[in-house]
Amino acid sequence: MIPFAAKAGRIVRGMRVEHVCGDPNLSEENDARLARRIVDTALRALQTEVDGPTVFDPAEETASAT
Amino acid sequence: MTDGLKVVHYLNQFFGGIGGEEHANTPFQVKIGPVGPGNALQQILGDRAEVVATFICGDNYFVEEAASGARDASAALEEIKPDVVIAGPAFDAGRYGVAAAQMCIIAKSAGIPAVTAMHPDNVGYTTLRSDLVCLPTGTRASEMQDALSRMADLALRLGNGEQLGPASKEGYLPTGLRKAIVREKPAWERAIDMLEARVADEDYSSEVLIQQYETVPPPMPVADLSSITLGLVTSGGLVPRGNPDRQMSGNAQQAFKYSIEGITELALDEWESVHGGFNTKYLNTKNPNYVLPLPVLRQLEDAGVIGSIYPNFFSTVGNGTAVTNAKRMGAEIAREFKDAGVTAALLVAT
Repeated sequence: MIPFAAKAGRIVRGMRVEHVCGDPNLSEENDARLARRIVDTALRALQTEVDGPTVFDPAEETASAT
Repeated sequence: MTDGLKVVHYLNQFFGGIGGEEHANTPFQVKIGPVGPGNALQQILGDRAEVVATFICGDNYFVEEAASGARDASAALEEIKPDVVIAGPAFDAGRYGVAAAQMCIIAKSAGIPAVTAMHPDNVGYTTLRSDLVCLPTGTRASEMQDALSRMADLALRLGNGEQLGPASKEGYLPTGLRKAIVREKPAWERAIDMLEARVADEDYSSEVLIQQYETVPPPMPVADLSSITLGLVTSGGLVPRGNPDRQMSGNAQQAFKYSIEGITELALDEWESVHGGFNTKYLNTKNPNYVLPLPVLRQLEDAGVIGSIYPNFFSTVGNGTAVTNAKRMGAEIAREFKDAGVTAALLVAT
């Protein structure tokens, strides 16, 4: 919401303010997997042409191979 | 014409008829009477004021040799004793804008009112605006006549000792300064008036100016991740344990730079967040990588998915941070990244 208001071009939806790139309620393994998915989403955003503020959702990311 | 005001007009080397960029180092000089656009200015002023002298200086000279230019300008003002100074218009010429603004400030410090005009994005206005009566112009010198007549108008009033009203009424660019004034109606009545106007779909203007965020055009997408150098930034308040730079928990003034060279993850006993705008329990007792996902990025770097990670990351606290400060920090970070060949950046915002 906030970066959208700030008009950044490529925005990845994080988890929560207190733990943007992961979730402490998950097991260590699943937490790491979630962090990977968020970063993968960010990398996909970097490779995507956008013409204005665009939100990329990690939930739509296909599971990565590693 | 003896009853009219005495005006000094400031021009750069180009409008002063000396020459173009190759003459930008021309030292400060004084010519008697109007020069170039000063002739049109004199026509507008008519017998209300006389352009008694024109100060001309090369753009580079006035900016680079600021002390010497200022000394000469002060001395000339002292000798001529004008009632008002008119500088420019400078349109979108940056160095001319700065010189014109400086000329206004020199006049002001000598107790002489001054008016300039330039494009609102001109660095002369954006950096010195609190000291200026600066009218907005476009970018083209074809607007000269219009700019001169608006400048003449305000200059005559200032030269006659008049106090100007607020920027929005007088048409000059906001100085960013607030003046205390007494309103006719108390706040609650004005609020109801505003509400009624809004309900009735009539025009009203808020008394609180909300700063608008700029829309930044998104950069082109990255074609090949495996060849990028990735820069990392966080506004999650990440600092080395103990906060050696004394980063502030709110209203941060700076972004600090920390090395992550050879580090595969941010260890809990070495890093902490000093952010004052959210509960940092998870970051400070469990995992600081939640605001800088270094372990994942190192994996991707090792696997060759991304080229490399820039060895320094930047960290600030995004909590009540003033937009102007954030903009300055962003520019500083971008400059270092650009100089270092960083081709893409990730910013974790909390």
